[in-house]
Amino acid sequence: MTPRRVVITGCSAITPIGCSRENILTHLMEGTSGVKPLRSDGLLTDHIQSGVFGAVDEPIAYDFSRSHRKTMGPVSYYACQVAKEALAAAGLTEEFITSGRLGVAFGSTHGSPTVQREIYRTFFGENAKNYSSIGAVDYLKSMVHTTAVNITKMFGITGRVLSSCTACTTSSQSIGFGYEMVKFGMQDAMLCGGADEYDTTTVAVFDNLLACSVDFNDTPHRTPRPFDRLRDGLVVGEGAGALLLEEYGRAKKRGAPILGEVIGFSCNNNGGDLILPNIEGITETIRLGLKDARIGPADVDMISAHATATKMGDVIEAKAIGSIYGDLPRVTALKSYMGHTMGSCGAIESIMTLYMMQEGLAVPTLNLDEVDPRCSMIRHVRTQEQTRIRTASVQNFAFGGVNTCLLFRRFEG
Amino acid sequence: MTREELEKAILAVFRERFEIENPGLDENLREEHEFDSIDAIELLREIELLLGSELSRDEKKKAMEIRTINQILDYVMALEKGTVR
Repeated sequence: MTPRRVVITGCSAITPIGCSRENILTHLMEGTSGVKPLRSDGLLTDHIQSGVFGAVDEPIAYDFSRSHRKTMGPVSYYACQVAKEALAAAGLTEEFITSGRLGVAFGSTHGSPTVQREIYRTFFGENAKNYSSIGAVDYLKSMVHTTAVNITKMFGITGRVLSSCTACTTSSQSIGFGYEMVKFGMQDAMLCGGADEYDTTTVAVFDNLLACSVDFNDTPHRTPRPFDRLRDGLVVGEGAGALLLEEYGRAKKRGAPILGEVIGFSCNNNGGDLILPNIEGITETIRLGLKDARIGPADVDMISAHATATKMGDVIEAKAIGSIYGDLPRVTALKSYMGHTMGSCGAIESIMTLYMMQEGLAVPTLNLDEVDPRCSMIRHVRTQEQTRIRTASVQNFAFGGVNTCLLFRRFEG
Repeated sequence: MTREELEKAILAVFRERFEIENPGLDENLREEHEFDSIDAIELLREIELLLGSELSRDEKKKAMEIRTINQILDYVMALEKGTVR
């Protein structure tokens, strides 16, 4: 079949710098960081060197009924809230939502670690009788596809379900695979995204690998520092993002608001080390993304870099961008505002990129005071710029050697 | 525990745990209050806490056909007397 155009007709995000479009844009434009001190969990935080976290602190007014809440851990609260808002923004009818022509592609890094921790506390507690206190719904709350299926349950969605769980590429894969579902006619629309909740286990893991930022524990807003000479590692964060992808003809016919178009996606693997960044793999992802979008490097106006602020990761990414694009497109690193929101980062960064495209705005990489000379071959956004962004790329890379590249186009009718 | 005391305790569980306020004693909980099999398992946990002892697998299976508060009360009273078969 002829590939179909895929547009975005709704989106919503929960982030460390706000949960509404207005708040997110305000904080991006004001250069406000969402990184805060790491909250004590009475378990791991005494041993973790990093003392910072990209935490969501804006109150969220959930109104989920008990029948839905009972199978939801914190990660599913985030997921269902952004899903609800994206569906509402898209203005889909209940008839379509439950028709089987709408699917869900949604994931998280590892379900709900908060609930998992409670299960293990029961397993390893001193009182054997505690065994009976494992809840009937604990698995449903904690399993790796808990976000996707709580969304299907809440809204009666009966189409395909994909639940990517590839750490930092979880939600960029969700968008990419959802895009392909619609593009090739398997579904007419896909609700795509990812979520991750406040979790110190993830911090401990990265901290143990010496990948977390530790030099700015007393000044959280000064880290992470993508591409900066003084960067010292990533900051783990939390959040959620959902995008409603829809076949263009259908969206146009029903007069839906069109926020942008997905024009390309690529995903590959480095085929080797599970941790080290790999320039060949990343370069190939970018190349494949451009090929899928049928555009050349000169067509891309802005890149949202993965840029976690690790020592080597940023250098490899800058070199990969430089080798394909030279210093033409603006490059910004949105994790500088909120840390690394893990499984949700691809969706959140895509939504922020869409907002910037709509506003004709390129926000600078925060904390980029002095560009590392090894990252200087690309065009960093250093100050806020008003500019027309017709095409943008969102890059994400994950442990396990998974790389993704999404390409978006501003919708101009 | 008398049946009246037990009724009070069970209704408190329904109110606090399941957000179901004063269900009729003979109302079908599944049909009227979306009380499903997952809730039934959760209720058994609460009953274990109430009785201070673990239920056997057979005792739990016997509870799966229960639909009303009165049936729950009968079940727990029988557990206390050791007559659940």
